[in-house]
Amino acid sequence: MKIHFGKTFTVRLVAIVLVILFGVMLFFIGKQHTILLDNKAITVAGKEIPALKLVEVQIDKFPSMEFVPRDRDKVDVTMQKHSVTITYTDASWEEISITRKFQVPLMDEMVIISIPTLVANPDAPQSLWLEKYVVPAYAVQAVPADEVIVTDELAGLISQ
Amino acid sequence: MKLQRTNIQKVKRFLGNNTVPILFLVICAFGIPLSGYSANYLVSEVVVRIARNSFLIVSLLIPILAGMGLNFGMTLGAMAGQIGLIFISDWGIVGIPGMLLAMIISTPISIALGIWCGKILNMAKGREMVTSYIIGFFMNGIYQLVVLYGMGAIIPIRSAALVLPRGYGIRNTVNLIGIRKSLDSLLMVRVLGVPIPLVTLVVIALLCIFILWFKKTKLGQDMRAVGQDMEVARAAGIKVEHTRIVSIVISTVFAGYGMIIYLQNIGTLNTYNSHMQIGMFSVAALLVGGATVSKANIRNVFLGVILFHLMFIVSPMAGKNLIGQAQLGEYFRVFVSYGVITISLVLYEVRKKHDRGIAGQILAAEQEAGA
Repeated sequence: MKIHFGKTFTVRLVAIVLVILFGVMLFFIGKQHTILLDNKAITVAGKEIPALKLVEVQIDKFPSMEFVPRDRDKVDVTMQKHSVTITYTDASWEEISITRKFQVPLMDEMVIISIPTLVANPDAPQSLWLEKYVVPAYAVQAVPADEVIVTDELAGLISQ
Repeated sequence: MKLQRTNIQKVKRFLGNNTVPILFLVICAFGIPLSGYSANYLVSEVVVRIARNSFLIVSLLIPILAGMGLNFGMTLGAMAGQIGLIFISDWGIVGIPGMLLAMIISTPISIALGIWCGKILNMAKGREMVTSYIIGFFMNGIYQLVVLYGMGAIIPIRSAALVLPRGYGIRNTVNLIGIRKSLDSLLMVRVLGVPIPLVTLVVIALLCIFILWFKKTKLGQDMRAVGQDMEVARAAGIKVEHTRIVSIVISTVFAGYGMIIYLQNIGTLNTYNSHMQIGMFSVAALLVGGATVSKANIRNVFLGVILFHLMFIVSPMAGKNLIGQAQLGEYFRVFVSYGVITISLVLYEVRKKHDRGIAGQILAAEQEAGA
């Protein structure tokens, strides 16, 4: 078969490329990520960072959440670029608000933000306080027995 | 020259042309009071079902225009739509972007399947409906092979929620929580307490406008000519086979999109059965609306969805109130779906024979007048 690189072929090729690019764009903007927010004491480089006694955290324009020590909550977001705003009261009763922008790696379905680490190092790179979260083995449900797949609605009549 | 008909003959002809819708009106007239549902509830349910099913049913119109009858091969498009949904569920793409991406994935699959189906139907001219019905079964086997054995083994699927515990194959049901009602709830307005999914209805309206516009285009006119007489169309220089293939491709692609809209409303994908049921119910709904194998329009689509689904809604409760078993309604649904297709096909043949007789009478009258 001979391919003619005429006007029609070029228009079709451009249309296909545009649709593929649109699909890639949809992948980027529609990919869902779960952001876990964790207010637990943590040890970073041998130094223990305590949890905050009461802290308010907001991701983008989502409703803000309050955390006490050992609290954890989650937000489901789409797209990669987001902001986190942390509001807390320090030892001298002064209200401090920190806002940081961050980017969730595209293929990471779940990431965790350590609030104490971010508060202790507000200017640190995001790799210090945001990391990929892998569900621990003990939290994964045991593999159930294989499902019975019904591909033929009349199969029951034959087996009985 | 026209034959003069008496009023009784006119009434008889009207009843003959609208037997199925009238039959359904009677069933609904009995069923609604028996079910005990309020008017508000019934209207809400009907609106939901119009939004859910209309796109799929509209996809059947173009092959009818091209004289290929009811495209039971729409299940091929439905399978393509489901494959798109499986992929976006695995990749975690949610909302409207997820729906659009599923549509983009389904499009090349639908086009390929449509071309293949169209070529086979060109080899089986005059028996398109039964052939497309069997093609649906055949393709279902291929679909099951791909989804049950290929996905997870050859085609990478990472999500444990999708893959069977054995490590390959997709589970019986796929949760579409990420795109559930994403189109319907985009702009939901309430009119007299009835929720109306405005965006979904706008999408359906756009498709209807497209169909009306398409009928007036060169390709649409070609399809009409092919539908009326293939030999005359060929003599007029129309590529009959190509036109027929294009009509099936358009129908299959729209069926894929329709399936995605349908499943976003339902929120759960029944991996191995959803597509098989949808072909039968869409065809039945169109026939209930007064369409025939050779003639259908947008009015038939909406009348069909309303009547057919009204019967679906009221029959379980009517059955329960009548004999104490909702099972009667479930039985009724399946029985009526198959029954209405049978009645429509029989009536179509009877009417065709009757029309041929009338044409003979007109010819005889003309000849007498000429002599």
